[in-house]
Amino acid sequence: MIIETERLTKRYGTRRGIDEVTLAVAPGEIHGFLGPNGAGKTTTIRTLLGHLRPTSGTARVFGLDAHADPVAIHRRLGYLPGEFGLYDRLTGAQTADYFARLHGGVDTAYRDALIARLGIDPGRRFRELSKGNKQKIGLLIAFQHRPGLLILDEPTSGLDPLVQQEFQALLREARDEGRTVFLSSHVLSEVEAVCDRVTLIRDGRIVRTGKVAELRDLAHHQVLLRFADTVPVEAFQGLPGVSDVEVVDHTLRMRVSGPMTPVVRAAAGYELLDFESREPGLEETFLRAYETAS
Amino acid sequence: MTTVAMRAWRDARRGLITLLILLAGLVFAVLGGVASAYPTVEARTEIARLATTLGPAATGMTGPAVGVETMGGYVQWKYGTVLVVIAAVWAIIALTGTIAGKALELLAAVPLSRRRIALATTGGLAGVLTVVCAAASAGAWLGGQVFARLPGDGISVGMAAGLGAWLWVMALAFGGLASALAPWFGRAVSAWIAGVVLVGGLVAVGYRTLSPALDAIAPLTPWAWTHDHLPLAGRLDWASLLWPLLAGVVLLGVGVESFARRDLGARVGLPRVRMPAFGLGGVAGRTFAERFPTAVAWGSGLGVLGFVLAATSESMARQFAGSPALADTFERIFPDFDVSTAGGFLQLLVQLLFVLAGFAAVGLVTGWGADEETGRLEMLLATPVSRAGLVLRGGIGLLGAVTVMTALAAAGVGLGAVAAGSTDVFQPVAGTAVLGLFTAACAGVGVAVGGITRMSTAGTVAGAVVVLTYLIDLVAPALRLPDWVHGLALTAHLGKPMVGDWDPVGVTVCVVLAVGGVLAGAAGLSRRDLSH
Repeated sequence: MIIETERLTKRYGTRRGIDEVTLAVAPGEIHGFLGPNGAGKTTTIRTLLGHLRPTSGTARVFGLDAHADPVAIHRRLGYLPGEFGLYDRLTGAQTADYFARLHGGVDTAYRDALIARLGIDPGRRFRELSKGNKQKIGLLIAFQHRPGLLILDEPTSGLDPLVQQEFQALLREARDEGRTVFLSSHVLSEVEAVCDRVTLIRDGRIVRTGKVAELRDLAHHQVLLRFADTVPVEAFQGLPGVSDVEVVDHTLRMRVSGPMTPVVRAAAGYELLDFESREPGLEETFLRAYETAS
Repeated sequence: MTTVAMRAWRDARRGLITLLILLAGLVFAVLGGVASAYPTVEARTEIARLATTLGPAATGMTGPAVGVETMGGYVQWKYGTVLVVIAAVWAIIALTGTIAGKALELLAAVPLSRRRIALATTGGLAGVLTVVCAAASAGAWLGGQVFARLPGDGISVGMAAGLGAWLWVMALAFGGLASALAPWFGRAVSAWIAGVVLVGGLVAVGYRTLSPALDAIAPLTPWAWTHDHLPLAGRLDWASLLWPLLAGVVLLGVGVESFARRDLGARVGLPRVRMPAFGLGGVAGRTFAERFPTAVAWGSGLGVLGFVLAATSESMARQFAGSPALADTFERIFPDFDVSTAGGFLQLLVQLLFVLAGFAAVGLVTGWGADEETGRLEMLLATPVSRAGLVLRGGIGLLGAVTVMTALAAAGVGLGAVAAGSTDVFQPVAGTAVLGLFTAACAGVGVAVGGITRMSTAGTVAGAVVVLTYLIDLVAPALRLPDWVHGLALTAHLGKPMVGDWDPVGVTVCVVLAVGGVLAGAAGLSRRDLSH
């Protein structure tokens, strides 16, 4: 495993950080790390980097103890923090040059290609850049030395859709080259688009780990049907994928997983005034996953 | 609107506490010290005679010597300008922070007009200043009640109020200038300009008799407008306070209107020399390059001051040599300095530069400490650079910047010595190294505490060391406090290198604090969590 944690726990005094996080990231995979704000994603990542000392448990990266030998790990790592600052007076090119020298082994042709693909203006000073353009500089620094492992914390924050697509292409290329990506995000669609496997974290604890397809199975729609008259609940309760049916006056609420066709067909037998289908938020998906896990 | 004003109070709470201690506490303590150090009429008469016979070169940074034989008059003469500088520096920092600070965009998004936001915050800070100045008045009045021993020592309510009002209008004037400039030039530049006007005005008024150029500038500053208002000496010139008050109100109005009308964050571009980027080879080089402009700015300032002091020291020493009575008078006040030699007189003046060198350390180490707060440290420590290596190399870069600053200061002193026709230029140039040693020591203490706790504390800690050193050095000899108290100030152990008298203990302590501080910081950062 490239990343392996065992009951990794971090507390900030009495405040929770992460609690007994156990996860494994295999070589050559893009592993999504999903969770709402404050779930413990950044704490986990910073512990993996050796920036935080674990309260208990272990974290190994490339088989090395993250706390005991962080420099050896960093030699093979590319990292983009969720929030970062750089040198205001330096241009993008100078900043990349500086970090290239700290890392060593940067292929300048690859770096130039990255600059072109991400649409970076290398001549502008960091302080003159917008949030999205600063994020691109961060991505350039993380990618430019072709690290064996990329740890990216909310990497698409502030990026426009075109650059997001290019970024996803870069991730796939990294995977195709046998490199590993650990991608923290709270954007489901982003994780679905590029990740092979996903770990969900909530309230500092791992809720679930699995393939993206399994995550999709968690997805469901909240459906609301408003009829002209009372309709029998039984007509919907037994339908495939339907659960948690509730009725209030002439309105039915239900959770639908999978195809919507059976519900639409059943509803067509009555005078339907309104039909509302809503994709669940990430929090609801997590709650669902949490319920499933427990 | 009230909430915005309350926020200004909340943001200023640390400054409020510090100022209360510095101003009210200092006034009260110094009054007590004077009463105890000069308890008899004879002693007071003697000190008053000394104060009035000193030439302007020696007393330029103090106030006019009026009523020095009284407790309040002595404090007014020796510490009055210091009190104004403390209040004005706070006002400059607080007001520029309000008009050009980082929280501005968020604040400007609240459903209040920008004019009202600026008025509320400025009003809030003026309120804080009022409390502080009222406390200084109370400290003065209380000091008079508690410590008055001789006729004329009493401090009336009017005199105490005169002190508070003076501090208030002066702080308002200089703070107002910074506030008026801030929407145009940004926080740092406007604070620098206002600071230069504050100190430059004091120098111009104090030394106006020595130079026609200074004499021409002097009438333009609030220091000159309120020159005859010496409240603790019993001389109250209330009308003179109207001018700085008027200037302050107008300038604050300009600041508020500029804030309301200009684009947020838009800055007037100042001509600046774009240096080619350097320091891209490693952490030491980058730290040095990042600190280089600050080092050049402080070094140039110290160099100019050093030039002036060195250039005048030769002629001043000649004056003392030709007037034994004056030299005798001077040596009673400053028994450790032989003012009849250029080196000895320069040594005395160079003591003034320690506080500036200390603040240079604060500026340098604050920039270093920003790495952690801004998230830059997290990026750097994701590279194959160890934490200890990062602090050690950063420390080398930081000490390199201190060297640049010291070299520029030494160049100024050297040129001044040459201009004065000194036969021994090497000695004062080499002597300037103590400024660099003091700067390095303060920076070392900052790096140590920043590495162990949180890097952003480095500047505050270095600042505390500088201010405490300055206050101890200022107050301990004047109040005849025990030697060990004065010995707590690092500057008391640096010898008199301008006359070739080096104190190896002080030099060693500075080196140990500088190098040891960096080592301690490296060890500290290696053993703690990063904060962000």
